[in-house]
Amino acid sequence: MADLQSGEPAHAERAHVELCGVSKRFGSTQAVDRADIVIRRGCIHGLVGENGAGKSTVGKVIAGVHTVDSGTVVVDGRECRFRSPRQAFSAGITTIAQELALVPDRSVVDNVFLGVESTRWGFVNRGDTRRRFEALIERSGISIDGDASVGHLSVAEQQRVEILRATARRSELIIMDEPSARLSAEERDQLHRLVRSLRYQNITILFISHFLDEVLDLADDITVMRDGRVVKNTEPSSETAGSLVEAMIGRKLEGNFPPKPPAPDPDQRTALSVRGLKPAGLTGPRPVGRTGSPAEALSPEGLDLAVLPGEIVGIAGLVGSGRTEFVRSVYGADRAVAGEVRVLGGDLGRLHPRRAIRSGMGLIPESRKEQGLMMDRSLRENVSLPHLRGVTRAGLVMRRAESDLVVETTASAQVRGGGLDTSVRLLSGGNQQKCLFARWMSPGLRVLIADEPTRGVDIGSKRSIYDLISAAARDGLAVLIVSSELEELVGLCHRVIVMREGRFAAEFSHPHLDEAQILRHAFGEEAATRRTS
Amino acid sequence: MTDPATLLQPSGPSRYLGVLARYGIVWVTLALFVLLAATTDGFLTGPNLRNVLDQQATLLIAASVATLTMIAGGFDVSISAVAVAAPLVALRVENATGSVALALIAGCAFGLIVGMANGSIVAFARINSFITTLATSFIVFGIGYVVSERSIMRPSSDSFRSIARTRIAELTTATWISLAVVVVAWITLAGTRFGRHVYATGGNAEAARLAGVRTRLVVVVVFALSGLAAGLAGVVAASRTISATPSDDFSFVFGVIAAIVVGGTSIAGGTGAVWRTLLGAFFIAFMVNGFNLHAIDPIWQRIIQGLVILVAVSTDAWSRARRA
Repeated sequence: MADLQSGEPAHAERAHVELCGVSKRFGSTQAVDRADIVIRRGCIHGLVGENGAGKSTVGKVIAGVHTVDSGTVVVDGRECRFRSPRQAFSAGITTIAQELALVPDRSVVDNVFLGVESTRWGFVNRGDTRRRFEALIERSGISIDGDASVGHLSVAEQQRVEILRATARRSELIIMDEPSARLSAEERDQLHRLVRSLRYQNITILFISHFLDEVLDLADDITVMRDGRVVKNTEPSSETAGSLVEAMIGRKLEGNFPPKPPAPDPDQRTALSVRGLKPAGLTGPRPVGRTGSPAEALSPEGLDLAVLPGEIVGIAGLVGSGRTEFVRSVYGADRAVAGEVRVLGGDLGRLHPRRAIRSGMGLIPESRKEQGLMMDRSLRENVSLPHLRGVTRAGLVMRRAESDLVVETTASAQVRGGGLDTSVRLLSGGNQQKCLFARWMSPGLRVLIADEPTRGVDIGSKRSIYDLISAAARDGLAVLIVSSELEELVGLCHRVIVMREGRFAAEFSHPHLDEAQILRHAFGEEAATRRTS
Repeated sequence: MTDPATLLQPSGPSRYLGVLARYGIVWVTLALFVLLAATTDGFLTGPNLRNVLDQQATLLIAASVATLTMIAGGFDVSISAVAVAAPLVALRVENATGSVALALIAGCAFGLIVGMANGSIVAFARINSFITTLATSFIVFGIGYVVSERSIMRPSSDSFRSIARTRIAELTTATWISLAVVVVAWITLAGTRFGRHVYATGGNAEAARLAGVRTRLVVVVVFALSGLAAGLAGVVAASRTISATPSDDFSFVFGVIAAIVVGGTSIAGGTGAVWRTLLGAFFIAFMVNGFNLHAIDPIWQRIIQGLVILVAVSTDAWSRARRA
């Protein structure tokens, strides 16, 4: 890296941050694997990759949220080992995260100067703080009312407050993690102008984004990541959206899938039929608390889907495309504004998890710790919970019958590493996930819905989960899978539906499943046309 | 790489330490029992132990049922208010009708209604259960003053005292009632489907809901049962003293919570057991009994009692942090 520092007069050629062989592991997942990235001072550096490619982790390593397992982070030529965001912060590094971190009940000015207020004898000097705010506004060209309460601002305005806050602290590097995911087209343009103006003030920007056109348009340098590795350090002039997509997918490490179950007989009665479903989470003007949820995206007629017994249908899409909202409202976990769900022809009526279970549905939710398991309870209790009625006599749970049930289902789901009364917290991530499969391995099951079935599990467990899904379809279950891992969908499914901004954007059937095609539709039309031109 | 299927189980000494910590309340209660039996003449005698059982009756009635509430993730401080107001309602009915049975039913029904109201507010208005029951406590204390017309109430006939003070096989009916309540609460929690739903709701309400548990109903029912038990405890207490006085004294619930927590039931919900509360109550009772037999200054008794609760809660927090 010495060649970058010597001889080049232009300040833009000086490295601001260098990552050399940085690795970071979370449990069984290698989030970042020997990454080398040079971020030049005063440049906009784009960082792209699929969900889970390690982009955000790289951002967090630089920002001091995570410490590296190996490798070095060099800031301004000095090796830095930040142990907290505070230390990175005092070195001039600020992050603007997907979830904004502001105090909603305080004013814009209060938020901008939080912790760096002008004080006199320990009291906040309002006049001076206000003068500093005006100066800041003028310098950055951001227009915003300093007295407005932050909680009442739109996402875009809150983002501007965060940017002001970063500049108020004289940050030299601002890490933006998916800054445009929740913005409208117009707000996006404003953000881009703002980002460019920051660069003119010689502030370095690390711009992590899903939107390839945006990155191609804005960035001076681009880094492409895949499976935790840096696959390409490049610049926009030599790339197209299509070439970036190719780099993001690449050749996969694991092509390890069971043979596909035979194609289902189309003349059978539909196992799961969804008509005109409008999940409440996709219809509101600005869903609160969920990052990246699209604004007013849902088509007026709602979402339709039919799954045959023995069929595996995948739902692809970016985080925030509405995949999870869709399957949760099919199951009744979240409210739907309108629509109807039938299992083997029987209408469920008002959607509710209890009704869904009684009609033969099972949901493996997105987060096993938050929504799936009672972590401090035993394997037995976690698995038998929805089936207690069948093993209860006179109100008392028959432990013998319950044990038989749990032993049988955990064996067929290949849960290993604990007795029936082991707390599930003590199991590995893969076995915890298999517990959730065991929970639904009952004879009455007709429809299995799995949201990110292999998130955070090791490779060995991944394969056995794929086997479970495949076996379930062979047994005549209708299976619906949501996944961020395209190879998983392509490897397992008969059919893949691509969601974008709350709609079904495209549908592909085996043998025409193609990762690049799916990804292009997930990212949107722009990327697709650019590639074909 | 380790085999993904292997379980991260503690081995060797740390495993025994785990068992020791897990059943800690059993060992310390036994140890205290042995210690007191060895060091004092008065402790290991029939009359003294029967007396301890009788004195613990009201607390055990309320605490064994409140254990379910706490495991479901709730916190019921209205137990004090119900235990004060329910006997006043019962005695009002007794004075009017002369019937002890009706009085008992009225006291329990009063507790049940307050509990159902608490549970409904917590489950449907989603207000924090501590705040909810604190607010309803004041209302219920107020009702106590209204019902009693701000004066001490006494039963019209002597038979009211028979609720608690009849002797069957050497033990008072107060003791028998408390043991019956403990057994029912124990079986409900450990053996029934409802008990499983209580653990699941407190362990992870969202996961329980997605597995088909009616978590709101569970919350309403545990608060209702807690109110019912507090009403019964109040009536039994009034029967022992043959009177009931309106007040706004919160102290009863603190004893209840102390017994639950010292027993090892987590205030975070999801884990615990009725037998733990039973032991927790007796550990504290033995301690107080031992202090008295050793003639230790009551002021010091309080300080030591407070320290013991702190130790119990920090042990819980410590073992939780180790597991996480």
